[in-house]
Amino acid sequence: MKWGIKILPREVLLDTQGRAVQDYLNQNSQGVNQCRIGKYIVLDLKQTDAAESKKKAIEITEQTLLNPLIETYTIESL
Amino acid sequence: MVAERTLTEKLKHYRISQAEYERISELLGRPPQGLEWALFSALWSEHCSYKSSKVHLRKFSYRNGMTRDDSDENAGVVDIGFGEKIVFKMESHNHPSFIEPYQGAATGVGGILRDIFTMGARPIALADYLCFGDENAPRMKSLVKGVVSGISGYGNCVGVPTITGYTEYDENYNKNILVNAMAVGLLEGHMNLASSKAEGVGNLVVYVGAKTGKDGVHGAAMASESFDQDIDSKKPNIQIGDPFLEKLLIESCLEVLSKNLVVCMQDMGAAGLTSSTFEMASKGRVGMDLHLDKVPQRDSSITPEEILLSESQERMVLVCVPKNLEAIQAVFKKWDLDAAPIGTITDTKKMRLFWKGDVVTEIDPTLITDSAPRYERPFIPYQAKRKKSMIEPVSSQNKDQLLASLKQNAFYKNKNWIFEQYDQRVGTRTVRDASHTVSVVRLNSRRDLAISVGCRPAFMRMDTRIGAIDAIIYPALQQAVKGFKPIAVTDCLNFANPERIEVMTDFVQTCDLYAEIAQRLDAPIISGNVSFYNETEGKGIPPTPAVGIVGLKENEDLIPGCVLNDPDLTVYLVQMPGVVSYAKTAEVLKKESSFSGDLLVPLLCDFVAAMTAFVAKTKPQVSRVVGQGGLAITLDKMKSNGFECVFDAGDSHLFNSTKFLFEERLYDFLFAVNSSQQVQFEKELNVLVNKWNLVSYVLGRSRRG
Amino acid sequence: MKVGVVTFPGTNCDQDVVKMTQAHGYEVVPLWHKDRFDINSVKMVIVPGGFSYGDYLRCGALAARSPVMASVKDLAKTGRPVLGICNGFQILCETGLLPGVLVRNDHGHFIDKWTVIETVNSTSHFSKSDKKKLRLPVAHGEGRFYADKPELDKIEEQGQVWFRYAENINGSLNNIAGVMNKEKNVAALMPHPERALFDWMGGSDGFKFI
Repeated sequence: MKWGIKILPREVLLDTQGRAVQDYLNQNSQGVNQCRIGKYIVLDLKQTDAAESKKKAIEITEQTLLNPLIETYTIESL
Repeated sequence: MVAERTLTEKLKHYRISQAEYERISELLGRPPQGLEWALFSALWSEHCSYKSSKVHLRKFSYRNGMTRDDSDENAGVVDIGFGEKIVFKMESHNHPSFIEPYQGAATGVGGILRDIFTMGARPIALADYLCFGDENAPRMKSLVKGVVSGISGYGNCVGVPTITGYTEYDENYNKNILVNAMAVGLLEGHMNLASSKAEGVGNLVVYVGAKTGKDGVHGAAMASESFDQDIDSKKPNIQIGDPFLEKLLIESCLEVLSKNLVVCMQDMGAAGLTSSTFEMASKGRVGMDLHLDKVPQRDSSITPEEILLSESQERMVLVCVPKNLEAIQAVFKKWDLDAAPIGTITDTKKMRLFWKGDVVTEIDPTLITDSAPRYERPFIPYQAKRKKSMIEPVSSQNKDQLLASLKQNAFYKNKNWIFEQYDQRVGTRTVRDASHTVSVVRLNSRRDLAISVGCRPAFMRMDTRIGAIDAIIYPALQQAVKGFKPIAVTDCLNFANPERIEVMTDFVQTCDLYAEIAQRLDAPIISGNVSFYNETEGKGIPPTPAVGIVGLKENEDLIPGCVLNDPDLTVYLVQMPGVVSYAKTAEVLKKESSFSGDLLVPLLCDFVAAMTAFVAKTKPQVSRVVGQGGLAITLDKMKSNGFECVFDAGDSHLFNSTKFLFEERLYDFLFAVNSSQQVQFEKELNVLVNKWNLVSYVLGRSRRG
Repeated sequence: MKVGVVTFPGTNCDQDVVKMTQAHGYEVVPLWHKDRFDINSVKMVIVPGGFSYGDYLRCGALAARSPVMASVKDLAKTGRPVLGICNGFQILCETGLLPGVLVRNDHGHFIDKWTVIETVNSTSHFSKSDKKKLRLPVAHGEGRFYADKPELDKIEEQGQVWFRYAENINGSLNNIAGVMNKEKNVAALMPHPERALFDWMGGSDGFKFI
């Protein structure tokens, strides 16, 4: 089963990359209120049972892919 | 909401003791209220006030013709003539790095750089001093990786080369790693040294750099506390560093300083805006009206208290005469940064903080800065941990097997993987990079500046007195054997809880020794940092008073090498009687550490100068101070290009005994010279040996191994 | 000779390149990222290394779309020489003046070390040393040269490979350390010649570079 995991910097923390891109775009008058930059990870798991597979995907995300101190995530089935 | 808390809850929340609360009430003539709680909490924290250490740091008052008393300023300055001044300092970022290693280390680098360029100096080099736990301890591999990436990510991007460092691995740091960063800046003729003293009634207070968010609120108070198990509860404290913005800040700040547009400047470090503005005002004995709502904000929900305490990175405060505001704003706009006037200097000697037009707090800044408590924490006279008899852990072992097993230890493993991640050459000043025992940058005056860090924790653990002497003397000797004269020192005193007598005893012993050495060596301690409460779950780190030393060589002469990369060099071993030990080796072998002999401060300090002169005269091709792991490890590190030191003596000779090869003797030196240098070298060596009661041997020759 | 040296926010090798340029007695014309410039005011342009825009989004991506690079493109069309170093290489690829792209090193780390590169095809504008092999330092996290197969073949066939690493340090395809455009007036490399001007720096193979 395939899972899409969207990881974004935590809202309260500074997103250095987002800020630089936002400032660049606004220097060119693009009218951007906010730009946040994260990453999107596609996991293809061997596990076929949907619930088990999702549990595994969450486990991998929380233990390895994510730094919970500075990032949040959402997960979707693909 | 704060008002509804009980006093006990408030004291806990703001980390203020009952006695301190009483003192605050006495100073104010009433109990603290509103924002005052937050102000006292931040500025009376150990981190900001140095309340447990200040009485001892006064001992570092020795100054000479190149240095002056600027202990009030952000970093120390050495005037080395020819219109060049060196500005440097070392600082810890231990707690944040243990919580989030990448950002903790990165913001540590960012912070120490701001201390340098706020004085008008351009940062030209970085060094780091790192103590990690056992490499197999929980989280340790990711902590090591995170810290190294954080230093690399920040230093490389901001364009300051990281050229040297020290990396320890020891289980005593399993739950409290140390991340200390040192920055060195160069202030050249056309630049004035910038002060942090606010002056001139009617002048403007201008906020420059990144916008303020909720990052690291209460960070200063947190850094002054021991860890508990609950790392998660400290999540919102994490500060994110942006080296890209820091680079813009360096260029814009140096530009306004070089155009003489600024009266004074201060970076926003621990306790952010509060600490910087209160200190500027109290140093200048002036007042300030500050409009907190005019502070550029990243987050519209931010409160006045959060604005005061935020530790958002890459921000500075400056003071200017009103007519220069436009020119200053033009410079910052060119670099796409905010420069917002947020207040004025007043003659009231009071800080008045406004929020949307209303005064929210009015207070004399000196109550919070100068009147901060000074504690004379109890300590006892230091007693040496010396063992009566020397325990000798190695002689029964096979020397080749012992060498192989030591080299398996993380401490002795090749650390190129660390330094290869640091840009060591940006700025094109690097003469000797981190692959050398001493790193060197070239100044515009075509003189060479050596940068070293010191403090070998194995010796500290063996004996605080020996370890503390070694912390300065070893890097000083390393510079001396390269022909440099150590000219000034910075320190980063990492200790556990100062409320424990044994910790304070070690601390006081260290300060006394550093003060004595600085004076005798004529290398003043010009700046520094104290990091207390390095303790997790009641277990403290061993005393780890790291130092940074800067040395000068007044010419462009070739610097002796570190490895035997030519054939037929004659290798000399020179021994200065002192301490014999197995400090690091015993630890690696998990055996008890002991030592015999002693170190004499005056003798060693004078010998450093003699060694500098000896090397300048003889110019040996290779020179080294023998390091941890003794001759065996040092000679192994000197192998190069297939050449190594082959002993003249036979297998049964003293040189080939395990004891002789692995003893860590303070201090042994190795020199290698080619045949054309040999006669002159031996002549000078004889003079040195006779004058200082040394022992010298011809150890062997460099050959294909 | 007047040499234009470009500065973006985050460029950190511009002053090093200025020193190299001045060491040859050339006059430096600073070029600011926000401004277009008169292409007849300079004989040569150097795009130095560093971290333009913090390397955010993609290395060189934001810098490539700045006003100054529009002028650099115009200048390149006249046949005048343009040199990119490190991040400058990344920027020139992002502008389309050079083929290919530079991606994250295969080992995932930033790498700082001395390397040996070999000249494959030469250009009359740069790298005037007689030595075929040059020893120069690298310092980059994203220096792995990549192009898809047809483009890579074209780069090879048209003699656009400028330098190859003697030892592949970052996973670059075909060991490529530097490339040129077809006309050979736009050229770039990952190593830093400006960091190897004098023996005291650890090597002087970069001295005859411009």
